[in-house]
Amino acid sequence: MENTDSRQITLIQASAILISTIIGVGVLPLPLFAVRAADSAAPLVTIFAIGVAFLGIALLTWLGMRFPNQSIFQYGNDIIGKWLGTIGSIVVIVFFAVLTSLTAREFGEVVVTSVLKSTPVEVTVIVMLTLAAISARRSITTFAYFHTFYFPLLLVPCVLIAILSLGNAEVINLQPILLTSPNNAFMGTFTIAALFQGSFIMTVVIPAMRKPKKAMKASLFGILVSGGLYLIIVVASVSVFGAEEIKKLLWPTLELAKGASLPANVLERLDAAFLAVWVTAVFTTLLSSYFLTSVALKQVLHLKEHQVFTFILLPIVFFMAMLPQNVTHLYVIIEDIGRVGLYITMAYPGLLLLIAMLRKKRGERNA
Amino acid sequence: MKRKESPSNSLKAYEGQPLSGSLESFDHITKELFDGTEDLSIRRFHVFGQHKAAMYSFSHMVQQSSVNEDIIKPLMHIPHHLQGRSFAPDELPDVILYEALYHGDVAREQKVDNVIKAILAGSTVILIEGVGEAIVISTRSIEKRGIEQPATEQVIRGPREGFIETLNTNLALIRYRLQSTDLRIKMREIGRRTKSKVAICYMDGIADPEILKELDRRMEPIDIDGVLDSGYLEQFIEDNKWSPFPQVQYTERPDKIVANLMEGRIAILVDGSPLALVVPTVFNQFYQTVEDYTERFMLMSAIRMARLVALMFSLVFPSLYVAIISFNPELIPTEFAVAVAGGRAGVPFPAVVEVLIMEVSMEVLREATIRLPQQVGGALSIVGVLVVGQAAVSAGFASPITVVIIALTTIGSFATPAYNAALALRLLRFPLIIMAGMFGLYGIMIGLIIIANHLLALKSFGVPYLSPLVPGNFQGMKDLLIRGPLGSLTKRPVFLNPQDSVKFRRKENDDAAGKQQDNPSPS
Repeated sequence: MENTDSRQITLIQASAILISTIIGVGVLPLPLFAVRAADSAAPLVTIFAIGVAFLGIALLTWLGMRFPNQSIFQYGNDIIGKWLGTIGSIVVIVFFAVLTSLTAREFGEVVVTSVLKSTPVEVTVIVMLTLAAISARRSITTFAYFHTFYFPLLLVPCVLIAILSLGNAEVINLQPILLTSPNNAFMGTFTIAALFQGSFIMTVVIPAMRKPKKAMKASLFGILVSGGLYLIIVVASVSVFGAEEIKKLLWPTLELAKGASLPANVLERLDAAFLAVWVTAVFTTLLSSYFLTSVALKQVLHLKEHQVFTFILLPIVFFMAMLPQNVTHLYVIIEDIGRVGLYITMAYPGLLLLIAMLRKKRGERNA
Repeated sequence: MKRKESPSNSLKAYEGQPLSGSLESFDHITKELFDGTEDLSIRRFHVFGQHKAAMYSFSHMVQQSSVNEDIIKPLMHIPHHLQGRSFAPDELPDVILYEALYHGDVAREQKVDNVIKAILAGSTVILIEGVGEAIVISTRSIEKRGIEQPATEQVIRGPREGFIETLNTNLALIRYRLQSTDLRIKMREIGRRTKSKVAICYMDGIADPEILKELDRRMEPIDIDGVLDSGYLEQFIEDNKWSPFPQVQYTERPDKIVANLMEGRIAILVDGSPLALVVPTVFNQFYQTVEDYTERFMLMSAIRMARLVALMFSLVFPSLYVAIISFNPELIPTEFAVAVAGGRAGVPFPAVVEVLIMEVSMEVLREATIRLPQQVGGALSIVGVLVVGQAAVSAGFASPITVVIIALTTIGSFATPAYNAALALRLLRFPLIIMAGMFGLYGIMIGLIIIANHLLALKSFGVPYLSPLVPGNFQGMKDLLIRGPLGSLTKRPVFLNPQDSVKFRRKENDDAAGKQQDNPSPS
């Protein structure tokens, strides 16, 4: 009964991991990023970003299927040598530790600003991080269970709010559909694509999949569903508020929830309820990046258990989360780090794939 | 004489020792072991008027009339066909067994310790001078109560039988419902002093042998002095003793046990306990009832949903109330918010304190009603309801809405069919209320995530606790939130890894029969 924990993840579970990892606190400022890039062409930019994100995850999945028993932290060493591979892995680990802390801080700010106005942000951040740290101690199978359980919870409120706000939508707000200034749009595409970076978790999921050959399908499915949801949110907020109005809002998605109300007046406002459900979305995102960081550390240091790292990481991540001075500063950092991250989550796997193909390296096939 | 350490140890001194054949030495042994025990009866007589013999038994545990008629009589009064013959001592056991005794369940025993154990278990033992063998006759007859309707699991539609304390009766109740050669019953003895009999029942060819092995592995090291109820055993074989959620189901319904055996689960019965254990257990078993399957599917699906709502109510309702009142009153419609605020106007405490006080007093009241004798219980519950309900509100102690919330919660927790699962949720309600008081809706979500994560990571004998929801299984989901039509539940639950997965099969010759009816045969 001990060996049941290896290679149990199914196609649906892998997709669920991707979806619930990608959908997180990033959804809240998403329409703002999109509108800043291209005004009313925000949906189009979002579609571009989904394309870029899919390219990134496709590279990673391709690599993963080439080495179905290993993660990037292991086959990196095989492809470009032990030293370079280790350096690459460490960069990835640091990046995801930073990403974890930024996500925690971002959500902490959201909660403190809109619901718990007199609670210090440190408290909400440490609560989320501790929750993620405790949950990241589990095995990868249980990790997959967590995601499968929570991911329907993410879809429902998003779709519900989009539907409820249909009443306030104006089609004219969505026009013109096409781009007016391609320059901004280019940067914006990458900012939004950076919101998909959690999908890097795929690299530790593939070695635990029952059939690694289905990994590409899972990635496609994951990006399609989460991308579709992103698109729905962007379209809904742009059509309700209009591009100019959104530029003045910090978290347009949250404002969208404020504007919606359930029929029959069961709940007068939905924003607090939406935020409450959104805790699960943020939790799954945090869990993934935390899990990825600790498993990566385990693999780089060639240890047996990743549990050791979860609590060692906690103070470090918390400290990093407290570094940004305020929300504005936080978002400057998030956008910068996000774009830098694309080199790590897309260029690095791309490079590895290229070298692996040139050197004709392959993992064992007996999966 | 050496000091006696404990009864189990003093018996150990005779382990494996053969019977000497001398009555005097056995008398000596019984005197040493049962020193001063006055219910041990020793009856001396002569077998066939020739051989000295003695009969040992605990007189209150055996059926006297049977002992007199079937044992003593044929041994003292030589039967016709044996008259005029004489026997050597070593022939005697054979003759007695094959030609004299009128009793079905007789065994021969050569070891001292086994003979003593048989006496303790309620058998009658006959020893004959000069014979190195004892004759052990099962004459145990314990007073037992009749088979009644299970008190804790009543149904409107379904069998009315419940287990009783006697293991043999319970096994018979299972066996007559499941007349199959595949039903296996393995016996074990657990308890250093009580030597309680434990029966492990499973269907060969359905139950997963891995789970059986795991069960054996967990039962093996149990070294407790006494097992008085299956509940003792549950705590030794469960996966996680720090979990508030029960990982082993118990039931006093034989029909439920049979249904579970046929799904591929394993049942454990303990002599002296009317509650049988079922492993592996998943969470959905705790809100299912027998009626779900005996009544038509649409009605019971709706009722099962209602039960689920009640279950959720009992967990989150008070904390939701606290969170909304203290942090987000803007969520509820304005008129209602005003009414709530009006009701709370005279209450001096914050909502969280008010709800906690009411919840605790409700728990106290509930516990008191269970413990009190029935005659007083009724009076108490009337007083309690008045105190907690009307008087608390008029005294400005609680607001009317709080009383409504507490009442709904309490009733909700009674709607959960499994008492132990309801207890778990009842317990978890308190930390949730405190979280809600501290962090509002955010706190509730954190609490719920912790609970859900715990449930997702929990396993019962290697089976994930939330199966078949997570990991998902389409066949299993037909019997999860709703109960699909019996005809559509064609497979046994996959998560139990049944060796034979087909439960329901449409007979193929049905179609053929239909066709034959369509074409009238030429006459």
